[in-house]
Amino acid sequence: MAEPILEVRGLVKHYPLTRGVRFGRRAGAVRAVDGVDLTLGRGETLGVVGESGCGKSTLARLLVHLERPTAGAIHYKGEDITRLSGRALRAVRRNIQMVFQDPYTSLNPRMTVGDIIGEPYEIHPEAAPKGERRGRVQELLEVVGLSPEHINRYPHQFSGGQRQRIGIARGLALRPEVVVADEPVSALDVSVQAQVVNLLARLQREFELSYVFIAHDLSVVRHISDRVAVMYLGRIVETGTDTGIYDRPAHPYTQALLSAVPVPDPEGREKRERIILTGDVPSPADVPSGCRFRTRCRMAQERCALEMPELAAPTGGGPTGSVAVHEVACHFA
Amino acid sequence: MLLEVRDLHVEFRARDGVARAVNGVSYGVAAGETLAVLGESGSGKSVTAQAVMGILDTPPGRITGGEILFQGRDLLKLTREERRRIRGAEMAMIFQDALSSLNPVLTVGDQLGEMFVVHRGMSKRDARVKAVELMDRVRIPAAKERIRQYPHQFSGGMRQRIMIAMALALEPALVIADEPTTALDVTVQAQIMELLAELRRETGMALVLITHDLGVVADVADRIAVMYAGRIVESAPVHDLYRAPAHPYTQGLLDSIPRLDHKGRELHAIRGLPPNLLTVPSGCAFHPRCPRARDECRTDVPPLHTVDARRGSACHLWRECLHG
Repeated sequence: MAEPILEVRGLVKHYPLTRGVRFGRRAGAVRAVDGVDLTLGRGETLGVVGESGCGKSTLARLLVHLERPTAGAIHYKGEDITRLSGRALRAVRRNIQMVFQDPYTSLNPRMTVGDIIGEPYEIHPEAAPKGERRGRVQELLEVVGLSPEHINRYPHQFSGGQRQRIGIARGLALRPEVVVADEPVSALDVSVQAQVVNLLARLQREFELSYVFIAHDLSVVRHISDRVAVMYLGRIVETGTDTGIYDRPAHPYTQALLSAVPVPDPEGREKRERIILTGDVPSPADVPSGCRFRTRCRMAQERCALEMPELAAPTGGGPTGSVAVHEVACHFA
Repeated sequence: MLLEVRDLHVEFRARDGVARAVNGVSYGVAAGETLAVLGESGSGKSVTAQAVMGILDTPPGRITGGEILFQGRDLLKLTREERRRIRGAEMAMIFQDALSSLNPVLTVGDQLGEMFVVHRGMSKRDARVKAVELMDRVRIPAAKERIRQYPHQFSGGMRQRIMIAMALALEPALVIADEPTTALDVTVQAQIMELLAELRRETGMALVLITHDLGVVADVADRIAVMYAGRIVESAPVHDLYRAPAHPYTQGLLDSIPRLDHKGRELHAIRGLPPNLLTVPSGCAFHPRCPRARDECRTDVPPLHTVDARRGSACHLWRECLHG
């Protein structure tokens, strides 16, 4: 793995639940992110997959510091950014930017495209002197494949795919080193998704970006990622290289998730074996004891209710060495 | 043919012009068959289905031409009352968003039972027994207790099961499912598709599956109709279409899927954007995005050419496309 640029250790985000009229009576918590360890190498793409409610979007918001964690640390180039505030925090935030899922609600309809893409310079004026900003914005429009002449248009004059390009240009305005993209293509039409995936890949090479790419589309994640982390109910259940995860999934949840994805080829569909999970994902406000997946797991035994499995190299799989490439949180993997 | 749509035209009057959402669509569905209608947003796939079901908003929508033959009768010639009796009993629809399709202030039992009260004239008590049966049939656990609950008390997957139960209540010959799993997670999507397949085998109903997902289509469809800008551009049996598409748009969609041997390389993207229905391009609507486009494509609308007895392609250059 490349030199780490972002290291997440024991990250936790709980949203307290209150009950009754009296303010502040705690009645448990939604455990959206509940002890996540991650490492992002420089120039690498880390894909994070999981279903709705697994905490992947909260994780994204924690990484760009839109939310403060309940516990844990996020080291950016060795410095714990969760402890920073004021000027020091602002300096770090310049380098970690976000691209949002919904190109329809994440752009202010009353602002021109030029103002939207240039807004980061208002918050970080040191990034570009006032006189140069318009030129920079036009450059950015060109970089993401839009016409620089469109700088005075409004978001509604663009299609969904073009709006997502505007969101990407805004994310790049401060020349960040890390970009966290939360479902950047899932709101787009199929024929346009591939264009945006190609754009993200090209920008990564051009600007030497490191990506955290969060998505539920497993084939897109595989295409773009060097490593993949699978999340379930606020925790990472398996992590490894893209080939490790997709060709030799070790966690029963990863196995079910991969087998549930419809294959875009009708050849041999009658013989395809599919692991159909029963039931729904439990509520993050009421997580099962021990292994969180045990309520839907076909391999679950008594031990799974008592002990929470930690991430470790799967038995018989993966090379042994200083850095574990493939790790899985299951008692039986 | 159970259902035959012939040369259907639907327009929408908008402030800045007339949007021709459906532009001469023809397709047929045989009894027991699964037809997938594949298309992106604005392709006209849902509007066609709404016209078939008789739930198109008019105005602003207007059916300006064509026939919809269902069991031999032209639905467009029937009275409102005659169509209402067919809807639900002989053809039914499943929508993408179960939460906004179910009534939030009625229990699911009342909503399921209503089908039997209205269409079959059953008593409320008998209808309730039927409702429990239906919930069992779509495998909702503890049906007897949960029948008193409201839609918001169910998860997304369970709500979709309730919609399916409602569609199947009167054992219709045809079910139209409009993006039934798009709002669901992939493991829940697999559960729902499995359920639909089982119910289809049990009841022998025909299914029109409207989707944008090439994976879902490959899994369940017998035949596919691909729509673009209000027209069917290709129709074929599922295996033939995936093996050798006969239209550049279909080819573009299949090529843009991320595949293993393409890892780290550029995806084959279709250039440009889907057209605005107010200003559909001249000739073949796909020509501004088509890598094969020639002069005739800019001027002449291609008819649906016969590729073989079971296939059609609306491309002037279908032969070249089919043979690589």
